[in-house]
Amino acid sequence: MNIDSFHTVILPLKDKLFRMAYGIVRERAEAEDILQDVLLKLWSKREEWSYIENLEAYCFRVTKNMALDKLASMAVRKTGMIDSEKENLFFVDHRSPYTEMERKEQRSAIDQGIEALSENQRLVFTLREIEGMSYREIAETLAISEDLVKISLHRARQKMKEMLSEYHKDGQ
Amino acid sequence: MDNKKIDSLLEKYWNCETSVQEEKELQTFFSGGDLPEEFRQYIPLFFYIRDEQSVTLSNGFNERLRNALEGEKRERYITIRIFRPLLRFAVSVLLVIGMGVSLYFISKQDNRSHFVETFEDPNVAMQHAAYALEKLSHALRKTETASMETIHFIDDLDIDWVALDSLNRINLFEIDSVKSKE
Repeated sequence: MNIDSFHTVILPLKDKLFRMAYGIVRERAEAEDILQDVLLKLWSKREEWSYIENLEAYCFRVTKNMALDKLASMAVRKTGMIDSEKENLFFVDHRSPYTEMERKEQRSAIDQGIEALSENQRLVFTLREIEGMSYREIAETLAISEDLVKISLHRARQKMKEMLSEYHKDGQ
Repeated sequence: MDNKKIDSLLEKYWNCETSVQEEKELQTFFSGGDLPEEFRQYIPLFFYIRDEQSVTLSNGFNERLRNALEGEKRERYITIRIFRPLLRFAVSVLLVIGMGVSLYFISKQDNRSHFVETFEDPNVAMQHAAYALEKLSHALRKTETASMETIHFIDDLDIDWVALDSLNRINLFEIDSVKSKE
């Protein structure tokens, strides 16, 4: 493993790492700062890359830890708040038969459902649903067993299913 | 894709039995419009997934990262440049101090005599010297007497020195042959 790894392995991961950080802190600017710190830290430790078994998983772990540290240091966790850029995402699909208001409400409900998951469930859920990772990749990334990955994902999906059913009943 | 297949896929999905590919199929299905009523309650989840997948870094990030990486390199260079004259000065001071301390101890050692005169009166010194020499002479005599006694004792044992010397050169068989000759 040499310096080229920064361009061939680490930099192509930047969007995925950003989404992981964003999934934890839920603030775009903070997530970008975290990613920049992560990449600078990785660059400063380039002599150690050859000793790292799975550099990709290592990048995710560093990002997760730095994002969790940042979250802990943030004075107020802005649960359920919608920043302006995220808000724009609600209106990208013009084919949708749903009104803007409905989509806002639905998104808010999903955000609350995600927020109600445990930290492990949320991370596993994000890596599977958003990044499309296999169980093994998630296990290596989070340094947990594959069984725990499956259990966490199962619980997360069941909670989301219950939440969607409740939301649907309330809406009728 | 017919509704039965979607229903079955969804069931597998909730039980974590779907592959990544099957989950992509579900996402594609739910991103289409005009879905059957029975599936509509799950739309928000798949919309959420699609929204989150489309989240990417802002356009200016690469530029910021490049500046930060270059800034880090420059910072290191500046740090070395700033501290280089100070390092030279510190090394010079340490060298001078080290040489000073060494010279001090060397000169101090040279001034110190190895044999210190402790007697004022030469007669007393002579007496002490004579006593010390007498003790030494007595000890040597005693050793000589003891050595002579040991030699006489060994002579009295009447050892066959020829046979003993031959042990170093001949084997046991030869020893036996010597004995038989005797």
